[in-house]
Amino acid sequence: MSAVETHPAIPYLPTPEERVEGREKVTGHARYAMDVPIAGALWAAFVGSPYPHARVVSVDAKRALRMKGVRAVISGKDTAPVRFGRRLQDWPILAHDRVRFMGERVAAVAADTRELAEEAARAIEVEYEELPPVFTLEAALAPEAPVLHPERASYLYLGGGEPPKTTHPNQQGVVIHEHGDVAAGFAAAARVFEHTFEYARNHQGYLEPRGTIVWIEKDGVVHVVTTNKAPFTLRMQLSKALGIPEETIVVDAGYIGGDFGGKGLSIDEPALYFLAKKTRRPVRSLLSLSDDFQVTNPRHPGTLRLRTAVDAEGRILAHEAHVLLDGGAYAAGKPQAGLIPGDAGLLLAGYRVPAARVEVVTVYTNNEPAGHVRSPGQPQSAFAADSQIDEIAREMGIDPLEIRLRNAIQPGETDITGHEWHDHLAREVLETLAREMKWDRPLEQRSLGASALDGPAVPRSSTLVGRGIGYCARHVGRGKTELEVEVAEDGCVYVITGAPDQGGGAHTMLQRVVAAELGLPVERVRARRGTTAETRHDPGVGGSRFTPVAGGAAIDGARRLRAELEKLSSDLDEALRLAAERHLRVPGMFDQTQSRYSVCAYGVTVAVDRDTGQFRVTDAVLVADVGTVINPVAHRGQLEGAFAFGLGQTVMEDLVIEDGRVVTANLDGYKLPTMPDVPPLRIVLLTEDYGPGPFGAKSVGELANAAVGPAVANAVRDAIGRRVWSCPITSEKVFEALSGARG
Amino acid sequence: MSRHEIRFELNGEARTAEVEADRLLLDLLRADLGATGTKEGCRIGICGTCTVLIDGRPISSCLYPAVYADGRKVRTIEGIAPDGGKLTPLQQAFIEQGGFQCGICTPGQIVSATALLEAHPKPTEDEIRRWMMGNLCRCTGYFGIRRAIETAAGTAR
Ligand code: FES
Ligand code: FES
Repeated sequence: MSAVETHPAIPYLPTPEERVEGREKVTGHARYAMDVPIAGALWAAFVGSPYPHARVVSVDAKRALRMKGVRAVISGKDTAPVRFGRRLQDWPILAHDRVRFMGERVAAVAADTRELAEEAARAIEVEYEELPPVFTLEAALAPEAPVLHPERASYLYLGGGEPPKTTHPNQQGVVIHEHGDVAAGFAAAARVFEHTFEYARNHQGYLEPRGTIVWIEKDGVVHVVTTNKAPFTLRMQLSKALGIPEETIVVDAGYIGGDFGGKGLSIDEPALYFLAKKTRRPVRSLLSLSDDFQVTNPRHPGTLRLRTAVDAEGRILAHEAHVLLDGGAYAAGKPQAGLIPGDAGLLLAGYRVPAARVEVVTVYTNNEPAGHVRSPGQPQSAFAADSQIDEIAREMGIDPLEIRLRNAIQPGETDITGHEWHDHLAREVLETLAREMKWDRPLEQRSLGASALDGPAVPRSSTLVGRGIGYCARHVGRGKTELEVEVAEDGCVYVITGAPDQGGGAHTMLQRVVAAELGLPVERVRARRGTTAETRHDPGVGGSRFTPVAGGAAIDGARRLRAELEKLSSDLDEALRLAAERHLRVPGMFDQTQSRYSVCAYGVTVAVDRDTGQFRVTDAVLVADVGTVINPVAHRGQLEGAFAFGLGQTVMEDLVIEDGRVVTANLDGYKLPTMPDVPPLRIVLLTEDYGPGPFGAKSVGELANAAVGPAVANAVRDAIGRRVWSCPITSEKVFEALSGARG
Repeated sequence: MSRHEIRFELNGEARTAEVEADRLLLDLLRADLGATGTKEGCRIGICGTCTVLIDGRPISSCLYPAVYADGRKVRTIEGIAPDGGKLTPLQQAFIEQGGFQCGICTPGQIVSATALLEAHPKPTEDEIRRWMMGNLCRCTGYFGIRRAIETAAGTAR
């Protein structure tokens, strides 16, 4: 059960929305890449390396090529020197000199059927010469460590500017930020706290396998059907990697069956281009989820060392952080200039930080490459920083709520990035949470739930209960986009966008914003997604950007349309009729430049079995500062989904890699939360601090998953009197902590 | 590999197909018959995106040999609301209650929940959890799915 307590009044829009793609999705007619029929398409399959680090000596495809129905085999020799990536193009399409992680592709097959392609791939013989592997951060950064990318200087770095300056050849990315007088802050401190936290590797866990189809028309135009969530960006990356002009590539993304950050990196598309070129046929692939767990781009695991200086009342004076993350074999999954995951440097988000020095380093290893996952970098930073705040409170005998209130950032103050803060509700979020949790009253002892599915019933006497707060902030997305608004023959207004919908409700948002701005019933406005050849440039869904950026473009388009309509007639219906005859089409553009944040806080309760360490989150409250809500159903869904996503990351998900091998390589080993795993959640929205999005909207999709980690960590700490310093917080770790407490 | 001719009913229509002994029902439906409403996910029987009903019982079609469908009634998402027809109250509730986001798990969720409501027209919260735990959803956290089922069953609070 989940309940939204305060329902914001949305003056502009009827509530609730009906998703534009609702009917298609509930009847099985929504088209995903895997469903696109392409006559005569061949199937691709790949050969992956069984070694984490090895030289590729030879690839022998004779046996595979003799199989009836096998049309082509390519290896690194055919694709060299082409590499791909979102920013640094360091990942070879197929390994040509050496493989740097287990499962890395060395050859690809195109065959008449999927089964045959897989069989042929198994028949390809590859000879390797093993090289010493590097699995840990320490080993990678040792002075004598094998250099994993000696040719790094030759890699393409997209987006202008210089690649980050590194001081060790196995560093991928480095971002160092400093503001204020850090030394003075530490010198003036009443107390200084230093803690080290560990964070494991998580997978995005989308249930849709990545699907790709590539074909090349006679005129040379390359068509790409993809599950990539940023079609124009993919087009640019392919153009740069393959050395062909963007105009000759058409990218078509349909509905995307879950993205959670991972589907901004494409790994099949470039290889399929080579197969399509060689066979002159369309070639398609569907990456099995089990391969996806092994060869794509999960969240960065790592170590976070934090030092925080506080005054006698627990007010933060200065902060120092060293964040060291395992980037795996390639940096290709990271779009950020510094080649670190998104907000990995955003320690103490939502707090006032007068002085800070934050250093984030990503490291090359022979593990699976890491990339972006929902609010990239933030689950790690929030787990560490907001656990530390809690620890400081307990050490200093300050109430955990009170220490957060004392440090919650106010407008005009300086945040961890050294920037001035412009949002108003940080304190109010915490105060609301305190009321909702009845923080001033001690927690009642209670036993675990009665449901048999909730795990073995634990006798009351052995149950420890605790509660914790997790607090975090996330930026409202910035950037530019364009779309078009058209009056079609049917008299309806169409919003034409190049952005796919990966589930957030992007197209419904556009529809409702344009309808509200024009004063039309929503039934008269439709959203139409088109390929990169049919639409204006859009950066794709992600970066907490879609509503504030594309929503702004929708407003702009609606206003331009209204100006044109007013020229045609003062009567809206008459003007639309005339506009329909003329196929009136106007652009809509927006550049969102404001630095704004949303703040949220969780309060969770846990019940721990003292004897076994087994524990459950028994209930949760989320208070979120969200601005105006455009799509209330989707908005609530984003927050509820983020809670479950954050819970999975916090208590069960661990993409274990041992000696380079992904051990939990499908959903049997990598457990995602099921329906019985998710406890009740109450959501309270604060809507009065308007954001820069349409009608005052902020972003919500990536706001609420990161703070689940510290909330649970702090609740477990409260229950058992010991802290678990590494995420996920499993029952085994709780048991160990309890044993330590006993021993 | 031996080939077998099978006869079965797909969403009320008689069908025949020739399949190899190891052909999975999921592949028969999607690749051979073009019925792509049923989704491929993990292919190991965990996620539930491939759920279809065999004689009214939900199964994972990624584990189910197509030959077993011989003589049986197969019902997929395409057969829940007949083409162009009205949505069922459950489908409508999935739209109104936020029962989907990306939609990839939705065919499986709706097929499973349809069978649930046929077996238990007024399911308790526990019955819902128990029945639906074989259908994963990464997007919704299950809140909207449970609301949709309860709304369709008339048990929503
Ligand atoms: S695809 Fe059948 S259960 Fe996952
Ligand atoms: S709606 Fe996306 S997995 Fe369920």
